[in-house]
Amino acid sequence: MVSLMIDGKNTSVEAGTTILEAALAIGIKIPTLCWLQKVSPTGACRICAVEVEGVDRPMTACNTPVKEGIVVTTQSEKLTAIRKKIMELMLVNHPLDCPICDAGGECDLQDNCYGLEVAKPGYSAVLERRPIRYDWKLLESDPNRCILCEKCVKVDHEIVGCDAIAVVDRGEATIIDTVDGKPLNCDFCGNCIAVCPTGTLISKPFKFKGRPWTFDVTKSVCPFCSTGCQIEYHSKDGRVERVTSEDSTFNEGNLCINGRFGYAYLNSPERLKTPMVDKKPVSWDTALSTVAERLKSFPASAVAGIASPRLTNEENFLFAKLIKTTIGSPNLDSEAGLGFSSAINILKNQIGIDGASATIDRIDKADAVLVIGSDLKAESTGIEYRVIKAATKNDAKLIVANMRTVKLRKYANSYLIYKPGSESSLVMAIAKALVDAGCKPAGNGADSFLASLSALSMTELASSCGVDEKSIRAAAALLAGSKNPAVIFGADIIRSNSSAEAVSAVANLALLLGAVGKEAGGIFPIDEKNNSLGMIEMGAVPGDGGLDINGMIDAIENGQIKALYIAGANPLASFPDNRRVKLALETLDLLIVQDILANELTAMAHIVLPGSAAAEKNGSFTTPDGRVQELQNAVNPPEGAKEDFAIISSIIACCSGDAKHQTLEAVSDEIALANPLYGSSVNRTTSAAAFEPIIIPAGTASPELTLLVGASLFHNGTSTLYSENNVSVAAEECIEFSAADAARIGVSDGAGVVVKSDSGSIGSKVKVSDNLQPGLLFASYHSIKLNAASLLAGKANTVAVTVTKA
Amino acid sequence: MAQVVFSSWGRNIIDNRKGGEAQEATFRLPVAHDGVTPMAGFMGWDGLILFDAAVDVPQMAAEYMKRVQTLYCCGKCTPGKKGTKVLSDLLAAVLEGKAKESDLDTVPDLAELLKNCKCTLCQSSTIPVFDAVEHFRDDFVSRINGVKSDKKEHRLIHKYTAPCQDKCPAHIDIPAYIEAIKEYRFDESLEVIRDNMPLPSVCGRVCPHPCETACRRKNVDEPISIMVLKRSASDYEWQHNLTPPMQPKPRKSQKIAVVGAGPAGLAAAYYLALEGYPVTIYEALPEGYGGGMIAVGIPAYRMPRHILQRDIDIIASMGVEIIYDTRIGKDISLAELKEKFTAVLLAPGAHRSKPMGVEGEDAGYKGFLKGGIDFLREAYMGKPTGMGNKVVVVGGGNTAIDCVRVALREGAELSCLVYRRSRKEMPADVWEVDGADEEGVHFEFQVLPTRVIADESGQITGVECVRMALGEPDASGRRRPEPMAGSEFVIECDTVIPAIGQDPDLSFIPADCGIDITKWNTIVTQYVPLKGADGRNLKDGMGNELARTLITDLDGVFASGDAEIGPLTVVACVGNAHRAARVIQRWIEEGKAYITDDELMEDILTNLPVYDKNEQVPWLDSANRAHQVEVHGKERASQGNYQEVELGFTNQQAVKEAERCLRCYRMAMAAVSQ
Repeated sequence: MVSLMIDGKNTSVEAGTTILEAALAIGIKIPTLCWLQKVSPTGACRICAVEVEGVDRPMTACNTPVKEGIVVTTQSEKLTAIRKKIMELMLVNHPLDCPICDAGGECDLQDNCYGLEVAKPGYSAVLERRPIRYDWKLLESDPNRCILCEKCVKVDHEIVGCDAIAVVDRGEATIIDTVDGKPLNCDFCGNCIAVCPTGTLISKPFKFKGRPWTFDVTKSVCPFCSTGCQIEYHSKDGRVERVTSEDSTFNEGNLCINGRFGYAYLNSPERLKTPMVDKKPVSWDTALSTVAERLKSFPASAVAGIASPRLTNEENFLFAKLIKTTIGSPNLDSEAGLGFSSAINILKNQIGIDGASATIDRIDKADAVLVIGSDLKAESTGIEYRVIKAATKNDAKLIVANMRTVKLRKYANSYLIYKPGSESSLVMAIAKALVDAGCKPAGNGADSFLASLSALSMTELASSCGVDEKSIRAAAALLAGSKNPAVIFGADIIRSNSSAEAVSAVANLALLLGAVGKEAGGIFPIDEKNNSLGMIEMGAVPGDGGLDINGMIDAIENGQIKALYIAGANPLASFPDNRRVKLALETLDLLIVQDILANELTAMAHIVLPGSAAAEKNGSFTTPDGRVQELQNAVNPPEGAKEDFAIISSIIACCSGDAKHQTLEAVSDEIALANPLYGSSVNRTTSAAAFEPIIIPAGTASPELTLLVGASLFHNGTSTLYSENNVSVAAEECIEFSAADAARIGVSDGAGVVVKSDSGSIGSKVKVSDNLQPGLLFASYHSIKLNAASLLAGKANTVAVTVTKA
Repeated sequence: MAQVVFSSWGRNIIDNRKGGEAQEATFRLPVAHDGVTPMAGFMGWDGLILFDAAVDVPQMAAEYMKRVQTLYCCGKCTPGKKGTKVLSDLLAAVLEGKAKESDLDTVPDLAELLKNCKCTLCQSSTIPVFDAVEHFRDDFVSRINGVKSDKKEHRLIHKYTAPCQDKCPAHIDIPAYIEAIKEYRFDESLEVIRDNMPLPSVCGRVCPHPCETACRRKNVDEPISIMVLKRSASDYEWQHNLTPPMQPKPRKSQKIAVVGAGPAGLAAAYYLALEGYPVTIYEALPEGYGGGMIAVGIPAYRMPRHILQRDIDIIASMGVEIIYDTRIGKDISLAELKEKFTAVLLAPGAHRSKPMGVEGEDAGYKGFLKGGIDFLREAYMGKPTGMGNKVVVVGGGNTAIDCVRVALREGAELSCLVYRRSRKEMPADVWEVDGADEEGVHFEFQVLPTRVIADESGQITGVECVRMALGEPDASGRRRPEPMAGSEFVIECDTVIPAIGQDPDLSFIPADCGIDITKWNTIVTQYVPLKGADGRNLKDGMGNELARTLITDLDGVFASGDAEIGPLTVVACVGNAHRAARVIQRWIEEGKAYITDDELMEDILTNLPVYDKNEQVPWLDSANRAHQVEVHGKERASQGNYQEVELGFTNQQAVKEAERCLRCYRMAMAAVSQ
């Protein structure tokens, strides 16, 4: 600890603390403009100048570490004069367009000028004006308003890892611009807008939507990916017009394109507003009683339900209650049935954990991170930010294993590109190399694990995953000796061809590394949707003897299931082999769809119930790392639509004849009783862990071409397809080919192809990509038009395909 | 001696404008910047110097501030960005007669305020401008009043530099690469480094880092660890498997031959290849042993071979062909090279050990090795070195230290270093001497070997030495060590390695080919005759002419590296070779081998110099210099253990260390007659 005196107050802080932080800790506020706690200090604005006794110049408090015994003065006539003059210089050539500036009312420059009583133009220079960048998408940049605090550049570089903008040029001409001067081409997370202290970088969709102080601000939780960011909805006249996040939140104010701009789906003209029965608009009473009446007309075993990770815990709980108890059918599942549910079960059985073994902030402080089978940026952007933080700010060794080259590549100390379907082999190869490097498994099943591991041939494992042994050993060497490793795995493991074996292998690896129960790190399953774990924990999973998602489709086809109630999901958009699903659904006697946006599914439903979006309701979501976070309604559902909670609760009431409507509080109490993880003092602790026997799935002849269907950064699920903001920057969906495959097939960028699998065929344009190994194609699943998921089969996210020129 | 008209340099005012007895002042500046054109005025971070009263001071000040603002001000702090803009516009308005006299008050006001700048560029730029307004106010006022200047126009040549950058023989933009690390941009840092240093992993590890002796942070507490930060940038690329971003320009037709794949040869080849020239390097050693003195002279525990090889491979990937196992003068003649290539660069290095001058050294005793550098090379190449169990190494330089440390790793029981002066006088780097000490090397200081002793079979059994004491100061004032009578003693040993220096082996240059060789056995190259005020030629630290074009007297043949400079350092060879590459390009493209105004200014500033160890630098000394992790203990020097001893910074350490940098940029500007 270092002792010092600031403005006559004695204080003691940790070595390395800056004078600014030391002052803040004892309630002394030093003016700042360029300082941003979450990035490296910049020292650009110079207004945090303070005097240190014995030092013959003012020192900037934001980037000067404390020293034992120093005496600091933060307020003096001399300092005030310096700060005022610096502010006067800052105002040289600054446009006085405050009346129409978007930052008016929330501008740090205004606040500081006001605070320091800078009332006159102290200096003058020849006026220079730089063009305003109207040609950027989603953002607008007016460099004339820029004070060069570099916060945007630093957030872009240090947190997001995008490097789209930079400080360019010299002297007065210095501005923040794109690196190449072309229109902005980035992740469009808008975190730069959030940190801009002036009206330089502004949100185009928000521009002129109103003065900031005229909006209602509602704290809530982001409804998109599994990061579970804490957000604020800014709403006026019943419309959400922007989403922000404070730096004091769990996610440190960092969002992604979906979190910041995805809200526009709320205002989509495609929002459902009228209940429909047999394609005719009806009143809510009619709709609800018809649902109850028709549902009851089937034997319970002929009814099935599909729940949604978009719905709140309370809604999922009620929906599970409706299907399983009120109707009495065990046939309940969701898209989590394609892999995430089973992954959660495996982690529970093998490691004794519910979801991730720790909260995701523990990734920040990990000293080694393995990200396997996940394009984190696309699947859960906020978790990628944490991995970047660990790698750059905590010197964590980063090992990334993926079929493709993903954005994390540039941070990786080891990057392993494995063959599709070889996940288990790769994981066991790493485990074997770890043991060879001296890593000793401990705990239940360790001996037999070790024995079966030693029976495996490294050469064979390496050759089956297509990674050379040297690289595998180098990766293991980086992991070996880690005190706090983090193991993160996503869709390519969870939905691999042999996902159970792959997830179990990853769990074994995490046990071998000792990743569970450490100060930092852990094992983290990733899902692209926000409330998958909550939904599972609410019981929205198959009951005893119940059908899972794939089983339901089979059962519909063979006539066993006649009525299906889908709440907040669209199996026609992203489910494997969804053309077959559509044909199956067409045979149903009753299809009830409760959703918020009109789509192919609502068009074919017998009954449509217009529900509500996350911004329009209360309740809670549970992230895969077990954080149960409450959301609050910022706006009401559109006129005619209803909160999902109310819809489901009314249907239960209608079905059971019990007119008593449920309250959120009552349901919360019920949940706490049903699941101790939701009790009063929740502690997700781990129970006994054990290595599971190694199962390496028998290799099948690898197809010439494999199509991988996965997530894209610019969308989350299908709701953002209705957000004009996302749509404006997302490229046209097409199928990506490696240059080698494109050349072999004889196609180039933009050419038309027909891609065919056993499930069907689709037409697409070609995009030649450096990110793919030969033999692997990639398409994102979001586009309903492309519908790449229709080529998939079963649960897997890969499928063998053939390609012909269109 | 040229009289100074006015000077405020170093805050010491000399004003000879009003007549009377002239005050004298001398500066380490040439009287003519290019050997011909007189230097009339000089402006920079430490003031203003006028050698010629005809210099238009307001115009020079205005131009100085304009260049600072528009060419170099980084815009990354408010006072700097806006303050120099205000000053630049103000001085322009003065020249145009559009300012008011009271506007001149802004100059002292901003000179004071700009002390709050983030770095020193804009801050220091106010100093000569302030001095100009202070001491030449009448000239400014008459311009404000619309009076036309009666002064002569001068050509203004500027140079942007920093003390560390100036001191670095390769002139790496050190503040820029450190700033990039501070901003977590290790890749950009390496790009900046490579602009002047194509062997970053080498000079990030084994550079004697003269830059750190000129680091202004030293005036506050301790210098920035500039060298290890370079290693951090270089290791980052390697540790993240990143592809170096350089793209050579389209291939040109003129082929260039380089003799020697050492630091000079590799560096020149790299820069020429980037310009599109096909370069062929001829290397005497076999493949796998490229790198010249870096490979054969620096042991692997200081410079891991795979990392050196990575740097060489990157250079080769730019379009450089390296033909190994080919010695010029033996396998191919210089005349043949000249015939086959448009230009030839000689960079053979200095690999010939110097004799010790001790009785018995030429008796052919078993155990008397040829020289330190030969021993290191053979040990490195895995050949028999002839070393026994008890080794005495004679010398005090880095090669001697490398020899004693390698002897331990080769299994010597005794590894003893004999040096005739004291430990602190050793030319070897202090940390190398400390490293040897830690590993168990035995030192005999102030000891002179006088005789090599051998038994009847001719096997060395010891070396007779005499202790030395400091005698009376000689003409230079330095006390010379002198033998103490009766202090003779014998160190028992079976191996003696003389390591007292190397010089180039230039036997491959035919005597009659037109290339001159100095008495120190280095290659003579042409130069710009820069003279100081005393009429003497300005020389570099090795006694060479300060500003050399590096072309030999044989047209089309250039020389670089140790064979041109004299045995020095990797970084000196790289800097020298980079200049040679530029001159070769000019010679090919323009038919003239010359150095530019910018390069002349570079040499002139180095001679000035830029760093001032007496400068008071007000700063809070609250961040200590970072130290890299090092493997300790004798085991690190156990037999066969060539594992790297120093392990570099973690990235966090590197960023913290980079944050200590004061970014001491500054701009000098010379006014020369047109």
